[in-house]
Amino acid sequence: MTTAALVHVVVSGLATGSIYALMAISLVIIYNATRTLNFAQGEILMVSTFVGWTAMQVLRAPLVVVLIVAVAAAAGLGWALERLVIRHAISATHFDVLIITLGLSLMLRSAAGLVWTHDEFPFPSLFGNRPLAIGPVRLAPVSLGIIGASLALMLALYALFRWTRMGRAMRAVAQNQRAARLMGISVERVYSGSWVLAAVVGAVAGVLIAPVVFLSSKMGLVAINGFTAAVLGGFGSMPGAVVGGMLLGVLENLAPLYLPSSIKHSVPFLVMITILLVRPSGLLGRVARRKV
Amino acid sequence: MTPVLDVQDLTVYYGKRRALEGVSLTVGRGEIVTLLGANGAGKSTTLRAVSGLVRPERGRIVYEGRDITQAPADAIVAAGVGHVPEGREIFPEFTVLENLLVGGHTVRRSQVGERVDAAFELFPVLGRRQSQLAGTLSGGEQQMLAIGRALMPRPRLLLLDEPSLGLAPLLSREIFRVIQRINDSGVAVLLVEQNARRALALAARGYVLETGRLVVAGPSAALAADPRVRTAYLGLDRARGGAAG
Repeated sequence: MTTAALVHVVVSGLATGSIYALMAISLVIIYNATRTLNFAQGEILMVSTFVGWTAMQVLRAPLVVVLIVAVAAAAGLGWALERLVIRHAISATHFDVLIITLGLSLMLRSAAGLVWTHDEFPFPSLFGNRPLAIGPVRLAPVSLGIIGASLALMLALYALFRWTRMGRAMRAVAQNQRAARLMGISVERVYSGSWVLAAVVGAVAGVLIAPVVFLSSKMGLVAINGFTAAVLGGFGSMPGAVVGGMLLGVLENLAPLYLPSSIKHSVPFLVMITILLVRPSGLLGRVARRKV
Repeated sequence: MTPVLDVQDLTVYYGKRRALEGVSLTVGRGEIVTLLGANGAGKSTTLRAVSGLVRPERGRIVYEGRDITQAPADAIVAAGVGHVPEGREIFPEFTVLENLLVGGHTVRRSQVGERVDAAFELFPVLGRRQSQLAGTLSGGEQQMLAIGRALMPRPRLLLLDEPSLGLAPLLSREIFRVIQRINDSGVAVLLVEQNARRALALAARGYVLETGRLVVAGPSAALAADPRVRTAYLGLDRARGGAAG
């Protein structure tokens, strides 16, 4: 295989990987604040992408509006689910909450089917489709756009967690909830904020990936690869989520070149199982949490 | 004058287990009051109830004339109650500076800088180690950080839970000097301490808890002379009390 073709495959792998990374980040945001997994993450992505798309159909609005509407819908949905459902289970075990989110994901998928049917719809891309030629290498603008937009969002998230009061509060809650309360942090508000933020990240991922995988009630399944990416990187670690996502995307795209093509969908799990056998805490996870 | 803190008939359960039963105590303005008792007597629980971490079954907690019994913990911090918890509970993955900044969560943005400077002035070692991860500090430094962090919102009542626990004598003396200095600036202190002798030397008054109930209360001098306190918390018995006093 030529180098040019290889570069092409790796770049589209990084594009898929960016989406996995965003999904992994959104799962980790909620996990770090609340210690629960949100199985409805993919369905929040799907519903908010559908809402954005519907706005475009009805209003004949430009594509940027789709993004804004999808993000707003996600924020509203994330906030409402936390406030109306999850908050009431605040004293339930993490396992109970996990089952609740699993139920939410099934409900959201059925509801989406009722409103938008279970068909697949083409979704316009924010980026053009004329391939970009750099020497002999031809790159799809969709791939580059996805990578660029994802990286920009990741940088924004980094800045948020590092330098803003809310971001610092979220990290404090992740480390020690009781101590965070003693700092005057409203842990409940951090819960809400985490759900909203995670949903918004998911919505951006949804709008980015929809042109590639088509818009459908099943597109939320991408969250499974996001989960795999997060475990790969070490669950709870943001840089780990990014590394895990990128690695997964690239391997998934490379594998069919060397192995039977039907293997593609097993790749994430093969990689995850292999890495966890060698490093149970994931690539960037801590072996054991420090106790003070 | 109304006390800064007025606790009446406080009763707390952990599940079915009773941790506190009918505890009443006050802390006056600018006063240091100590709460003594054996492990599991309910000292920490009392502090946690005041700062809103546990909900009492019965009783009333009034801070500066305001009923805070049912107030959420973050509102109690914002009202001016600082709590340095047992075991320090600093954020190990934050730097020293980030710990202070998160302590200033309720502080107006424009004032955070000067509060950080004040903390460094009180504990110069924290200033020298400001970009070090807090989890790598020594026990004494972590205690200083925990106190500095709790002072960020300029509380008018400071709850201190075992501030000298596990510290070398020299360091714990240093911590007590700082508590005195904080108190001199007008902050009332409710001090839980296993070193009863030192606590009574610092405090004006004290209370003794036994299995969730108050058994003795009074001025420090009276407590230090009380035979029950002497035997149980000062490690003295009547026979050799005079020599060791």
